[in-house]
Amino acid sequence: MQKREKAGSAASWSGQELRGMFTTATSWLEKSAPDIDALNVFPVPDGDCGTNMLLTMRSAVEESYHASDRNASAVAQAMARGALMGARGNSGVILSQIFRGLARGLEGRKSFSGHDFAASLTEGAMLAYKALTRPVEGTILTVAREASFAAQSACAQSEDLLSIMEATVKAARDSVANTPTLLPVLRQAGVVDAGGQGLYVVLEGALHYLKGEVEEMQYRRPQVVPSSIPLVSRIPAVIEKEEPYGYCTEFVLEGRKRLSLERIRKRLDNKGQSLIVVGDENLVHIHIHSFEPGKIINYATSLGTIHQIKVQNMDDQHKDYIEMTKAQAPPADIATVAVVPGEGLAQVFRSLGVTATIPGGQTMNPSTRELLQAVESVPQDRVIILPNNKNIIPTARQVPGLTSKKVEVVPTETIPQGVSALLSFNYDADLETNASMMREASSTVKTVEVTRAVRSTKIGDLKIKRKQAIGFVDGELTSVGDNPEEVLWDVLLGLDTEGSEVITIYYGKNTKRSKAEEIVDRVRQQYPLLEVELISGGQPHYHYIASVE
Amino acid sequence: MVKIVTDSASDIPAEVAEELGIAIVPLYVRFGSEVYRDRVDLSTEEFYRKLITSRTFPTTAAPGPGDFAEVYDKLAEETEEILSIHVSSKFTVIYEAALRGKEQMKRKCRVEVIDSLSGVMGLGLIVIAAAKEAQKGVNLDQVADVVREAIPKAHVYMCFDTLEYLRRGGRIGRGRALLGSALRVNPILDIKDGEAHPVGRPRSRAKAIEKLYEFARSFTNIRDLAIEHATTPDEAEALAQRLSSIFPRERIYISTVDPVVGAHVGPHVIGVALLER
Repeated sequence: MQKREKAGSAASWSGQELRGMFTTATSWLEKSAPDIDALNVFPVPDGDCGTNMLLTMRSAVEESYHASDRNASAVAQAMARGALMGARGNSGVILSQIFRGLARGLEGRKSFSGHDFAASLTEGAMLAYKALTRPVEGTILTVAREASFAAQSACAQSEDLLSIMEATVKAARDSVANTPTLLPVLRQAGVVDAGGQGLYVVLEGALHYLKGEVEEMQYRRPQVVPSSIPLVSRIPAVIEKEEPYGYCTEFVLEGRKRLSLERIRKRLDNKGQSLIVVGDENLVHIHIHSFEPGKIINYATSLGTIHQIKVQNMDDQHKDYIEMTKAQAPPADIATVAVVPGEGLAQVFRSLGVTATIPGGQTMNPSTRELLQAVESVPQDRVIILPNNKNIIPTARQVPGLTSKKVEVVPTETIPQGVSALLSFNYDADLETNASMMREASSTVKTVEVTRAVRSTKIGDLKIKRKQAIGFVDGELTSVGDNPEEVLWDVLLGLDTEGSEVITIYYGKNTKRSKAEEIVDRVRQQYPLLEVELISGGQPHYHYIASVE
Repeated sequence: MVKIVTDSASDIPAEVAEELGIAIVPLYVRFGSEVYRDRVDLSTEEFYRKLITSRTFPTTAAPGPGDFAEVYDKLAEETEEILSIHVSSKFTVIYEAALRGKEQMKRKCRVEVIDSLSGVMGLGLIVIAAAKEAQKGVNLDQVADVVREAIPKAHVYMCFDTLEYLRRGGRIGRGRALLGSALRVNPILDIKDGEAHPVGRPRSRAKAIEKLYEFARSFTNIRDLAIEHATTPDEAEALAQRLSSIFPRERIYISTVDPVVGAHVGPHVIGVALLER
């Protein structure tokens, strides 16, 4: 598929393209459903949120093929109907409201623009809030609201659906990252919100379609958004609850007469938890966690016929979930705690199995207390600290004396050293052996850092003006130039790459990916035998951090 | 003579199996609605071509008790004792199926079924050792003793370019610790107590293969050595050449990862299996 170039034409997206967006979103979500299941702790840790959202999406997409017409309005209506009929679980029902908003917003339209989409998304977020008697922040609702708000704001800059969606997806991502800040149960469990993550994946999938990346997606999979606050890895014991959950009861009610959502909601409000009543006067989807599902169903059948009935014992589901999280629990009995600047880098560290991350680095050194807290918060009683910065090593060295846990500090001075150390972690070895192997591994990597000078100075033969780009190799200043890319290039050219195999370049928060990609292409051409990898590090201050190993 | 049976998750090269009279019960592999018997209806080359190009992810199935009963009954025509050695019961239900198969036999014949707690050529080398022992003309109990002694002495290191296949197939076990890396890494797993365990994750393939080499070199009492690969015979040969400094090259088995295992490990896996004395 070719990249779409529709920037100029405002209202040019068809119903088929709308369907394409969500078909792609569904296959993207499918890859991530098990990950999302594993995040599921709120409102009930039953571990089926991803699956529920996937089933809801599938139902929406399937129904879209039965649309009466191929125009945007008809497709959106069909998707909304499919989503409502197929909705499962809290997040599924909320998702169905977003489709309902889409259907409302696109009603009567043959095709739609970025503005139409943004407005419909906002409508959907609003409907989602309305569906719940007691909306909780830090969930899919928050993500829906903040994403749609970003979509609206992006409309001021552009009419183009692609750029609006880019802003939407980015906001959804940030919103997901923030969910543990808003909802304590997530923080305790050490996860971001599952439903929010699901919605983010759906929006990201739709964006992939718009960008014409359907082919590339086959080889990739959605990533779980890392939290914006430090979290320790999940411990199953924390979320084990004593009190029973009852039955998750769900069905679609087709009324004999006009149905009043308000009346149904009122009637069921004190009959259980997590009540959701959505739909219209003919068709209503009801979801509730109740100890007496029979009473709910009795009441519903007095109003009409019920369909797609699902009653599940949540205590059984919860047991399965506990098993599932146990299977995924970190196998190591030694924890690793790393100080990392920037969310991208934190994500890299987490993906490599670090137990906890502490934000910090150049000009933002964490205190002894913060390091100690992180060490105390992990479940393991043997801990390795990776300071990843020269100035943080002395602080880290205080920690072993302040805790009853056994703590080793591997004195990594840079991020690449920290990554190398973490990669050499041996799951079978003991604390001391691991610490010494990590120390050794961290010494085999060369670190390149490129930043801007904060003041004019002269170091050795190099004269530096304020704000000039400067490059370091393992902390030694080796290059000065006007732009960071030139300096990085210059530094890399000066390195002895004999025996090296992999160059990893982490570009910073204030560096454009396109610039970083250009330099990566140049490096690849210069060193055809080396593997060159580009990672979004998101670190402040440093335009580039690179490792050569 | 005791007859030796195993399954196709053992990756024993066909000519070796033939020479030693080892009966191999094939696993099943399915692409969409097409079902193949491992190595019987689908050649290894054809399989990897499909694995890389097909849009559907292949699923695999263990042979049923009936498949085992059939093989046992056939062998019972010429022997009174059968030793059936299989891939770790923590990976599949094959071991169970073999036990059931024994119950469903029509003929009378003593059959002993053993869980190898290993897989691929780790299992393969145990089975080869058993077959060689059987050729000496000893009885079933004696061969079974040799196998039970060999089980803790079989070691396998496998280097992956992705753990995605293993994850999707649900066989990742403790190897899941190496999943989801944001950086490109080459995870190495070993099989211990019947399960996959994480060993390490070098950044480059060359380093990873170096690790396989060092792993083999760390043993001083190697009885048998095998290298296996999925689609990279040159890499396997180069490693065999390097290992010829510690073990005679002509005795190193080079085997291809069978389709069923391949469906779980992916097309770029390379591994070393060895059996200690």
